[in-house]
Amino acid sequence: MKLNSKLTLFITLSKLAIVLLFVLTLPYLTGRIARTYTDYYLQQQKEKVLEVVARNGVESYLQGEASYGSYTMLKEEYISLEPVEEGFTLDTIYTDERIIEQDTLNYRVLTHVFPAGKGSYLMEVGKTVETIEQYNRPLQRIATYVLLGLILITLVVDLFYTRFLLKPLGEIIRTKISNRKFPFNENSDPVHTSTSDFRFLDQSLISLMNQIHEAFEKEREFTANASHELMTPIGILQNKIENLMAEPEVSEFVQDRLIGMQRTLNRLKRIVHSLLLISRIDNDQFSKKDTVSTTELFGDILDEISHRLSEKEIGLRINLSEQIVFQNVNRDLLFQMFYNLLNNAIRYNKNEGKITASDRKNDDGTYLITISDTGIGIPEDEISSIFNRFKKANNSEDGAGYGLGLSIVKSISDYHRITINIESKLSVGTTFTLVFPSGLIKDI
Amino acid sequence: MKVLLIEDEKTLAYEVEAFLKKAFYICDLAHTAARGLEMLGVNPYDFVLLDLGLPDLDGLKVLKEAKKLNPDAAYIILTARGNIEDRIIGLDLGADDYLPKPFSLLELQSRMQAISRRKFKVSTQEIPLGEFMIDLQKRIISHQGTEIELTRKEYDLLSYLLLHKNRVLTRMQLSEHIWGTFADDDYDSNYIDVHIKNIRKKLSVFAPVEWLETVRGVGYKIRKQ
Repeated sequence: MKLNSKLTLFITLSKLAIVLLFVLTLPYLTGRIARTYTDYYLQQQKEKVLEVVARNGVESYLQGEASYGSYTMLKEEYISLEPVEEGFTLDTIYTDERIIEQDTLNYRVLTHVFPAGKGSYLMEVGKTVETIEQYNRPLQRIATYVLLGLILITLVVDLFYTRFLLKPLGEIIRTKISNRKFPFNENSDPVHTSTSDFRFLDQSLISLMNQIHEAFEKEREFTANASHELMTPIGILQNKIENLMAEPEVSEFVQDRLIGMQRTLNRLKRIVHSLLLISRIDNDQFSKKDTVSTTELFGDILDEISHRLSEKEIGLRINLSEQIVFQNVNRDLLFQMFYNLLNNAIRYNKNEGKITASDRKNDDGTYLITISDTGIGIPEDEISSIFNRFKKANNSEDGAGYGLGLSIVKSISDYHRITINIESKLSVGTTFTLVFPSGLIKDI
Repeated sequence: MKVLLIEDEKTLAYEVEAFLKKAFYICDLAHTAARGLEMLGVNPYDFVLLDLGLPDLDGLKVLKEAKKLNPDAAYIILTARGNIEDRIIGLDLGADDYLPKPFSLLELQSRMQAISRRKFKVSTQEIPLGEFMIDLQKRIISHQGTEIELTRKEYDLLSYLLLHKNRVLTRMQLSEHIWGTFADDDYDSNYIDVHIKNIRKKLSVFAPVEWLETVRGVGYKIRKQ
């Protein structure tokens, strides 16, 4: 899950939890506040009564009666005074039922025993629970609404702010990590951010990629330069041998040696050529602007390899749909790629073997070409390394091939973003599957 | 034919010179662009073989200058750079051909001959070969007016041997000419034998082909006076 989503989820959930907690504890809280306030109110009433008693004497209430009682019109509050025995004390606040004029009501009652005149009196001040709680519900509702409103506002603010805060990170990921193709040769500008962590991350990535790019660049440069430097002496040697062979006084023995030298030199030349080709592909030195059909491509290749097919009496079946046209490709490179694959299929095939090239168009627009042979196959543990430079299948019989053919195939396919899959069974055959991205296939 | 070779690699230049002299060309050498342009200003040349990687001036600029000094000469670019862009620019600037290093001297001569035919209209007449006639322009071989059908590769092989007549060409040299970069080590030399066999078969129906000789252990040659 993305950091942004995680944060959003966390913020939302934590706020929800707070709301829930608040809503759950609200009745208790409001009840408690109301009660405390009522108790305080009752205490005040008590103080007032005591004050009157102290000033005017308890008779001002009793008016000659033994006890005193008074209540408001709707019996929401009452007060009573009655004499109690000497020594009895009671000073508390509690909730209890009281019957006043046939009505049984729940009251919050303050009781207090105080001495006055000749004896002690028990004072009760009460307030109905109903009146105490009458504001609880609206209070709770309003409090909940206010809270919800506040939470909503902070939620929106939080989400916007985290989004704003994380934006540079997203940008770093987008421009520096995903969508970037090895060897990172395009320059990327630093991401603007005031967050030092992101700036550090961004700068580290930039310097890391620059380092990779530099190292890769050096290697490529070396291969290219080395190959070029090698070409000239190879050329000199080749021309010297050619001139020497034309000399009339060269004996048959020397002639024979010269041919051997020529052969070795040719081998060297081919290796250097191949290395140079790979380095040029890796160097993006080929344009990808050509349009070519599979029929055209395979027709041309067939021209070049038919003599090899007939020598080994190999049957080649090309089973390709005619309407497939590649676009945004380099024609020469595609030719080389298929040529190398087919040539390999011949080289490692048995006499009177078979090669089949077939294709399929997938629903997602990708296009698939498979080339299967009935050759010697590749051992399972070698499949992963056959594209490595100078790696030659151990079981190649003729010792031919210097392991660059498939490296070239790999470079070309990488350059065009073609995926290659290999399946192989020893002494049964090998199947190369090439998956072309939809962008390389022209819509017809 | 007068050739100017502008090449800073002296050893290579001497080999090319030796070869061309043997093929009856008159060859002058220049090891720097400045010297080359100087010589072009003074002498008329039919061919200019120009290395692109000269130390004192970029080869493509040399080509531009040289074209001004001697617009009639045929220009062949020699380069180890091998950039496709170089090739396109070079040909756009008016070079007649392009040979990537390392190249075979035989191939160089064959290209020069092709340019001669095209540009200077040299030897447009048919060349006799035994009882056969070869028209290099139209790429046709005929016997007493009857055209003999050869495949493209068979014809290429025959004309290459004819161009270098009286010289033994190895199977490797032949396959390099026919298949170019697609020639495999050793791998293709057998096919030269197959092609030669086919050529002999097709031609010997009409007349003997003893002028096409097999040189044991080396290759083939066309013997011709």
